[in-house]
Amino acid sequence: MSPQPSSTNPNSLKIQLAYQFLHNLNNLNSKRSNLATTHIRQRSNRVKIAAYASMAYVVGSRRAWSRAILRTIRNRRMLARNKRVDHKITHRPRSAKRRNPKRDYVDPNGNSGQEVKLRKLVPGVEKMDACGLLDETADYIKYLKTQVEVMKNLVDLYSTI
Amino acid sequence: MNISGNTTVTGGTDVSVFERQQARIKWQQQQQQEQSFYNVNDNQFMGLVEIKPDPGLQYGWPDFSDGCQDQLISPLMVDHNVKKRKTHEDQKQKVVLKENGVKDKKSKGSSDEQSVETSSKDQKPKVVDAPKQDYIHVRARRGQATDSHSLAERVRREKISERMKYLQDLVPGCNKITGKAGMLDEIINYVQSLQKQVEFLSMKLATLQPRLDFDIDNLIMKEMFEVPTVAYSCDQAANSTYFQVNSILEMGNNPIEAMLRRSNGGPVSFNPETFVVSSCFNQMQPGVTWDADLQNLYRMEIQQGSSPIPFQPHKFTGSYGGSNLKMEL
Repeated sequence: MSPQPSSTNPNSLKIQLAYQFLHNLNNLNSKRSNLATTHIRQRSNRVKIAAYASMAYVVGSRRAWSRAILRTIRNRRMLARNKRVDHKITHRPRSAKRRNPKRDYVDPNGNSGQEVKLRKLVPGVEKMDACGLLDETADYIKYLKTQVEVMKNLVDLYSTI
Repeated sequence: MNISGNTTVTGGTDVSVFERQQARIKWQQQQQQEQSFYNVNDNQFMGLVEIKPDPGLQYGWPDFSDGCQDQLISPLMVDHNVKKRKTHEDQKQKVVLKENGVKDKKSKGSSDEQSVETSSKDQKPKVVDAPKQDYIHVRARRGQATDSHSLAERVRREKISERMKYLQDLVPGCNKITGKAGMLDEIINYVQSLQKQVEFLSMKLATLQPRLDFDIDNLIMKEMFEVPTVAYSCDQAANSTYFQVNSILEMGNNPIEAMLRRSNGGPVSFNPETFVVSSCFNQMQPGVTWDADLQNLYRMEIQQGSSPIPFQPHKFTGSYGGSNLKMEL
């Protein structure tokens, strides 16, 4: 679904993000038909997911953070389709696995601070080294920035019309 | 330049370390021509900085300036690393240490010995000052020239500093901050604020959404995907959006146009609107071309949803002007 590979031209990036985002919004609206009935929080959560998904789709599999986002989206979709108790079961081992590597990272170096926080913020960088972490962070920031601008413009446009 | 401080343990160790490091600096200045990464001021923890990267190697982590302190405080780590260093260096370096020499390895080895003994004791207050300064500076080339691990270390650290510089450009308002710790703080704050903005804007969009209908947008956007990729080949031109709008208009078999004409019917005709819009675009700066195109796109979508749309080109230009200002801000 993502368009041709993006140049580093910010304009084209914004356009791609915009298209992808609107596409995802449409999908959202078409799938969940009861817009009026669903709570505002659920709706805003879906829009948020659509925003992150659109970012990830535009980037594709090139980046660790985009892969992580796509993975969570697919997992979510699979879980939603299954709609079984497996939902709870799959969560537990995942969280247990997640906890341990974090502690290993924190304890030996005695570093409780910033890198751990950064790893929490940027998806998919849990096990990367510092170089990769900074790389992914930079990319993530770039896409987040443009996504925020796209959304701002959308909101502006809709609020004036 | 007496480098025989190996016997001292406590007390005057600071001074001897300092002397040794001074000697090393002089040697460095003789040897090094190209690289200018050293900070002469962080003499006091130079030896300790050497120890620092090793755990970074092991665990794949750089510790930034905060970590420097932590590592120095933990003598266990230091001991381990020093042992590692000693295994890498020649055994005879230790022997040479006891004699006088101006060579780096000796000085490094001796400083390591010193630092092992002193790190847990006296160096702490001095080290506290040093990490506040700047990025972790690249160590003396000569000191690590033969050590493959330290070469890799240095390369890694340079990579990291490169990326930190790139991040400095990305994150607004970071030009004044020089320390890695400060930079990381800024980065973390910025990412957090961006994510909160996304959340807030998604909430806003969620409130606006039910008013608008996105049914036909799938098709529209699929079509629109193809258009800009053609048009943006010359997107540096000032009237690129004008070109795009016209290209959309002039495509005879354009399904968008057909759909719009079908849906809009009487009250709103496509051509005069876009003509007005495109005339507005002509006055636009090239920097915000995407914005105009996006607005065109959004506008078309919205027209699908709400059936009677009053034809208010002036209103549109007003809103466009407003958002243009916002964009520039």
